[in-house]
Amino acid sequence: MTELRSVAITGVGMVTPLGNDVRSTWKAILGGESGVREISGFDASGFPTRIAAEVRGLRAEEAIEDRKSLKYATPFSLFALAAAEEAVQDAGVRPTPATAERWGLVSGSGMMTVEFDFLQRFQREFAADGEIDVARLGAEGERFISSPEFARHRAVAGQALLHKRYDIRGYSANLHTACASGGQALGLAMRVVRSGQADYVLAGGYDTMINPIGFAGFCLLGAISTDNDRPASASRPFDRTRNGFVVGEGAGFMVLEDWQRARERGAKIYAELAGEGNSLSSYRITDSPPSGDGPMQAIRGALADAGETVDAIDYINAHGTSTPMNDLSETNAIKEVFGNRAHALAVSSTKSQIGHLIAAAGAVEGIFCALAIKHSTAPMTANLRTPDPECDLDYVSEGCRPMQIDVAMSNSFGFGGSNSCLVFRSPQRAETRGR
Amino acid sequence: MQGVVITGFGCLTASGADVAGTWVAVLSGESGIREAATWDSSGWPHQLAGEIKDYRPRELVSDRKLLKFITRQDVIGLNAVSQAVAHSRIIEHRDGLADPTSFNDRTGVFVGSPATKYRYQHDYLSPLANAAGDSREFGVRAMEDVHPMWLLRALPNNVLAYVGIQYGFKGANANVTAHGISGSQAIAEACRYLRDGAIDQAIVVGYDSASELEALPYYASVGLLSSRGLRPFDRNRDGTVLGEGAGALVLETRDAADRRGAKIYGEVLGSSVVAEAEGVLSVREDGEGVSRAIRLALEDSGKSPDEIGMISAHANGTRVSDAAEARAFTEIFGAATIPVTGFKWSLGHTVAASGAIESILALLCLADGRAPGIPTLEELSPDCRGANVSAAEQKPRSSVGLVVSRAFAGLNSCIVLSSNA
Repeated sequence: MTELRSVAITGVGMVTPLGNDVRSTWKAILGGESGVREISGFDASGFPTRIAAEVRGLRAEEAIEDRKSLKYATPFSLFALAAAEEAVQDAGVRPTPATAERWGLVSGSGMMTVEFDFLQRFQREFAADGEIDVARLGAEGERFISSPEFARHRAVAGQALLHKRYDIRGYSANLHTACASGGQALGLAMRVVRSGQADYVLAGGYDTMINPIGFAGFCLLGAISTDNDRPASASRPFDRTRNGFVVGEGAGFMVLEDWQRARERGAKIYAELAGEGNSLSSYRITDSPPSGDGPMQAIRGALADAGETVDAIDYINAHGTSTPMNDLSETNAIKEVFGNRAHALAVSSTKSQIGHLIAAAGAVEGIFCALAIKHSTAPMTANLRTPDPECDLDYVSEGCRPMQIDVAMSNSFGFGGSNSCLVFRSPQRAETRGR
Repeated sequence: MQGVVITGFGCLTASGADVAGTWVAVLSGESGIREAATWDSSGWPHQLAGEIKDYRPRELVSDRKLLKFITRQDVIGLNAVSQAVAHSRIIEHRDGLADPTSFNDRTGVFVGSPATKYRYQHDYLSPLANAAGDSREFGVRAMEDVHPMWLLRALPNNVLAYVGIQYGFKGANANVTAHGISGSQAIAEACRYLRDGAIDQAIVVGYDSASELEALPYYASVGLLSSRGLRPFDRNRDGTVLGEGAGALVLETRDAADRRGAKIYGEVLGSSVVAEAEGVLSVREDGEGVSRAIRLALEDSGKSPDEIGMISAHANGTRVSDAAEARAFTEIFGAATIPVTGFKWSLGHTVAASGAIESILALLCLADGRAPGIPTLEELSPDCRGANVSAAEQKPRSSVGLVVSRAFAGLNSCIVLSSNA
């Protein structure tokens, strides 16, 4: 058996509510800005929640000159194309005819593929009174939909666009475990490079639920904050007054690469993606239990997979959704795994500023971990003003904290109980261990 | 590296309510394809579907309270899992352990999911009609009329979640939403985590109700459906037929299976997933993706082409895909006449479920030494000569077989199975 390879992060790209690239997003994170506003993408005035963290001013057409592909792109596929473009350019490497089959693509994608305007047209055409006229659908349905529309509605539409745009011909995976999708995608991608199934993987997540149907779903569930009058502080993870998450949208992609190849071509390496823990809470659809059971298996698994102990972790980018149960369960999972070390860790939730990017969350937050290592800075948890006696870790609430970060961890826990935990190692530590 | 063995399986298809029923139907040339009956499809230009017969959700899942939170495709998926789990007897083993914590933590769940469905959006038609174009009114109506649990019912990972909750499994998991290769890739990813040592056993399931109301006209609009029947590799084939179903397997490392003295039905030797990178709906006519998937899967399993005794082809009945597959078989196997069969002519194309269901049926072919004929095949198409298919039953030449699956986005997957215990 060949020795397992280390996995380098050599390119990063993102589209977030705080900026349409890595540089502007990170600057806004450091500046303590909030991406949460009154919803502008559609008329949310009839909904109990009217705020969200929306992507603003993205002109994907400028990054993606391929007009034909754009015809096949949903809004969240555009986020993916823009973020992937930045990641590939940043890495300074892209598939060639000689390497295309050694490139893979792994992404976590959103669940809302049918566009609202299509549903509206469908309703007017086939369900004028709200009930579907089945005979009419049978007679007219084949002419009702266009070929690009049919293509856009496929769950693999974004995956197909990315494969085609970059001519990635090797391994492929399209995953969906709700809010854990992005984290699980990075973890799977790491294993693919590690085992030698691919030399390079474009890996990430992309999503939007900020449309009338997706947003209605969250409103109906009562899972999101209704602080319409104070959007900037609506997402306040670990705060005693937290009352739900804020829906965000966007995409994050990384280029993952066999460490040795990256070194040989002189690539800049942000960090090593060093370990993955992947578990299932098997408790309730929307929550992990207060004890932290489920998430803690993922955290332990990630540490073991990375060959690190609890003493090595400097910073945790928490799932930290700002729902009452998640933040309690996650805090208790960290305490259970880290024991006495739990209070010595810097733990923060960047969702306090960018909201919850659902299937993209784990990918964007994984990039934040890589940036935290590179820039020796732990992002903050914004809006944490009223301490919760049950959430008593060091949440970096005073502002971004300059600190050396050798090993960082990113948590993502999804509706449905899937949990992902990733470990990121600084290049220096990776090289020292390698010797 | 750990070998991965198969210790249980179960399925629910248009042709049978379980593995035995489906297998008998396929062997005896019976098809589950009919005119769609879950709605009145009379007069529809494309009305064929492989629907589950006598769909009674209360009999298909043990926890009836669950029916409020899941949809038809989830019910089908969970039913297949319960069959596979019962077949494997792992719960009896687990419940005999003094402390089952580690067993549960090291049991994974890997799912091939159809992701979203058009029918989920139908709950919003009434608010849309009542709002009459007023966007504010739509929000108000939606909050009043739509079920509070709507989003949870629509989750693409419901089967994954409820398999976990029902059995208490807490290990590594993935929910693959890759259209027609989802079921195969769920097997492949489970093997990855088993081989990596992250888990000791895994539940794998692929499920779908691909033949939903809106799917028929929309798939037909891009020329993919037949109105006459699914006739793989036939000169007059003119499209596929969508279907419903689920297939589930219990996979374990050989060590774990041996430790508990499990009955072993076969082995997953290797797998592959590759992309053709031609766009959402395009398929390469030269079969390059299929042949590369087969080559990589053979490499992964350490097998050479002459050791392969049978191929379960994707065989979806479309002009381009069947011909491309046949070309790939010629390229890999040359003039060697390896028996090729397929199952969609009987079950319909169950899309996200197909790779899992067809892997189970392929295992039975290898174990029983019988590759069923394809009765809808009347005359082999000249552009499919590379596929050694027959209307009559054939005999696999060894206990090792390939399962080929294909999907939108130009995705191709190949699983290598052996019926050796």
